[in-house]
Amino acid sequence: MDTNFSSDSYPTSSRWRKVAYGGMQPGYDDNHTDETFLEDMVMNANVVKRNMLKVMQDSVSISQYLCIVALVVLVWIYTLRSTLNENSLLLLDVSLLGSGFIILVLTEEMLSLKRLLNYVLNVSFFTTGLFVLAPIYQTLTRSISSDSIWAVTISLLLLHLFLHDYSGSTIRPSGALKNPNLTSCISLNASIVASVFIASRLPSRVHVFATMLFSLQIFLFAPLVTYCIKKYSFRLHLLFSLGLMAVTLTFVYSIHCLLFVLLVGILIFVNVVCPYWLIRIQEYKFEINGPWDEAKLCFDITD
Amino acid sequence: MADLKHRILMVSDFFYPNFGGVENHIYYLSQCLLKLGHKVVVLTHAYGNRSGVRYMTGGLKVYYVPWRPFLMQNTFPTIYGTFPIIRTILLREKISLVHGHQAFSTLCHETLMHSRTMGYKVVFTDHSLYGFADVGSIHMNKVLQFTLADVTRAICVSHTSKENTVLRSGLPPEKVFVIPNAVDTAMFKPAQVRLGRDEIVIVVISRLVYRKGADLLVEVIPEVCRLYPNVRFIVGGDGPKRVRLEEMREKHSLQDRVEMLGAVPHASVRSVLISGHIFLNSSLTEAFCIAILEAASCGLLTVSTRVGGVPEVLPDDMIVLAEPDPSDMVHAIRKAISILPNIDPQVMHDRMKKLYNWNDVAERTEIVYNRALKCSDQSLLERLSRYLSCGAWAGKLFCMVMIIDFLIWRLLELLQPAKDIEEVPDVSLPCHQHGERIEEVFH
Repeated sequence: MDTNFSSDSYPTSSRWRKVAYGGMQPGYDDNHTDETFLEDMVMNANVVKRNMLKVMQDSVSISQYLCIVALVVLVWIYTLRSTLNENSLLLLDVSLLGSGFIILVLTEEMLSLKRLLNYVLNVSFFTTGLFVLAPIYQTLTRSISSDSIWAVTISLLLLHLFLHDYSGSTIRPSGALKNPNLTSCISLNASIVASVFIASRLPSRVHVFATMLFSLQIFLFAPLVTYCIKKYSFRLHLLFSLGLMAVTLTFVYSIHCLLFVLLVGILIFVNVVCPYWLIRIQEYKFEINGPWDEAKLCFDITD
Repeated sequence: MADLKHRILMVSDFFYPNFGGVENHIYYLSQCLLKLGHKVVVLTHAYGNRSGVRYMTGGLKVYYVPWRPFLMQNTFPTIYGTFPIIRTILLREKISLVHGHQAFSTLCHETLMHSRTMGYKVVFTDHSLYGFADVGSIHMNKVLQFTLADVTRAICVSHTSKENTVLRSGLPPEKVFVIPNAVDTAMFKPAQVRLGRDEIVIVVISRLVYRKGADLLVEVIPEVCRLYPNVRFIVGGDGPKRVRLEEMREKHSLQDRVEMLGAVPHASVRSVLISGHIFLNSSLTEAFCIAILEAASCGLLTVSTRVGGVPEVLPDDMIVLAEPDPSDMVHAIRKAISILPNIDPQVMHDRMKKLYNWNDVAERTEIVYNRALKCSDQSLLERLSRYLSCGAWAGKLFCMVMIIDFLIWRLLELLQPAKDIEEVPDVSLPCHQHGERIEEVFH
């Protein structure tokens, strides 16, 4: 009925063309489905073939951080039981700070006195602030019962672990491009609130200062340090993680047998079961791409 | 075929006074269908204080249902809330076929669902493309699958859009028709006097948002200005990315060569278009792109990104396509500038008249209506089995929704029997009265 639109301007070609202009194509209905239909569809184009060993190696970062958090909790428990006194805690803080510095300095490519001075200045400000605020931390949540404190602390730590950015570090090495995202900030804050809660159960102001300093050092800077190690050498990272795991497991074993079993179970789950699971569910991956996809820009947009 | 007269209800959240491709499509399609002797009623939600029933050109009746839009001109999805009023309108107007437009429109989805429950034949037109990856698309695709599971016939605006719709909804491809948009060539005539060639003007008219490729423009414009000292840009449109374009203009000191017009009302689009030689479209996704048609109708050579349905829109000698990448687009603009002397706007306009025509679109849509009405009626059980196959959980959920809808329909029948609903007498305007404008527009 409307062949006059198309046959006028175009030599009647019997082949169907994938065009929208020129009215209905002569000889073909509008619902004609050519054999070229969906020929531009690409399936699973961006799917990465994963290697079991590689995934397991990558998951070491997670178990490493799990161990770090477990160690922090251990230190809290030891302090509360008075196994660790304030002096040894302070000694621990100083040695951690020192070793952290050394690792940062050794792994950083661009070493400059100015940057080092900058670090030292920041840390001293931070420590002074914490010392001044220690009495407040000690009494801030004192009126809350110990059961609630433990319950909230544990849930906050779980939240922290759940939202933690395992691929990088929330505290960026200076000069990093990307800003940390919202979830990693929430995670960091959850860990800090957890330390504040714990601080109220400690006997003295020096204890509070030492414990807070310790927890903050770990939560703020341990991801940065481990990130630097990982960037510097992957083998060193693996060694360091395995060492950490061994140390943590020993300490946990000395505290409680059941906790030890639980931790071993979690580590196996994270390092063996999850990678295997991930690789198994890869075969269900079904990704469709085609000309209808929104084009990706091949340059960065800087707003 | 032509003696079969339908009574069609067009449904979409998007209609005048809002402006865009879908609104345009519904309006022109309705006008041409009226001209073919069908009765057309449009159903949309209230815009501001425009609420109630209105008549537009040619006796096109529009129901502005008093439901407030809540997001991007969409009514709040209530699933069943709209049923009573939709039923009343369907019965009052003695509708024989319901035609919904646009996958974003909640009003369209709800109306199609209720009309299916009441046993009407429904046709759905999809005007946009969707990916499969992000959460928003996955949700939309599920909703679309629900609506399309039981749609009688579907229409897409381009072949790429058809592929996309078939994949998203699982509809058999032979149920999906491709009927493109058209352009009112009478409204987009080239300039009376041909522009000089000393200075080449490149026109961009689009909303300045990410999806329309405003970021590509930021990269392309300075490079083209550097290569050709006689090129000038006119950018019409507004949006969040306008700031970036203005920054670019400052940074490269192009204030005198890049003119930013801000939002251009549709009525003055032509006057902007005819001041240029080349039309640049930088969209990252596009099901059809009416802007290209309008530009080509005004006699402009188009340079566009090769995305979605754009390659199907114009013959190869009327458009220069480029990958959505700044260097390739600059290359395409160079090519366009080199072939510009061979382009005669008037010839281009005359070709567009033959290529696109709303009457043709209406006639092809009429065929779809005829096919839809020939389909056999289906019982609720048959339809439920189709919903059930939509997915393990979704299928059962869809069935639940449909069963409840059916029960509500029965309840409404009890509360307000169909015979109690007054039917609207047909107002038949004298033929020449509404025919005039259309005639003038299309011939």
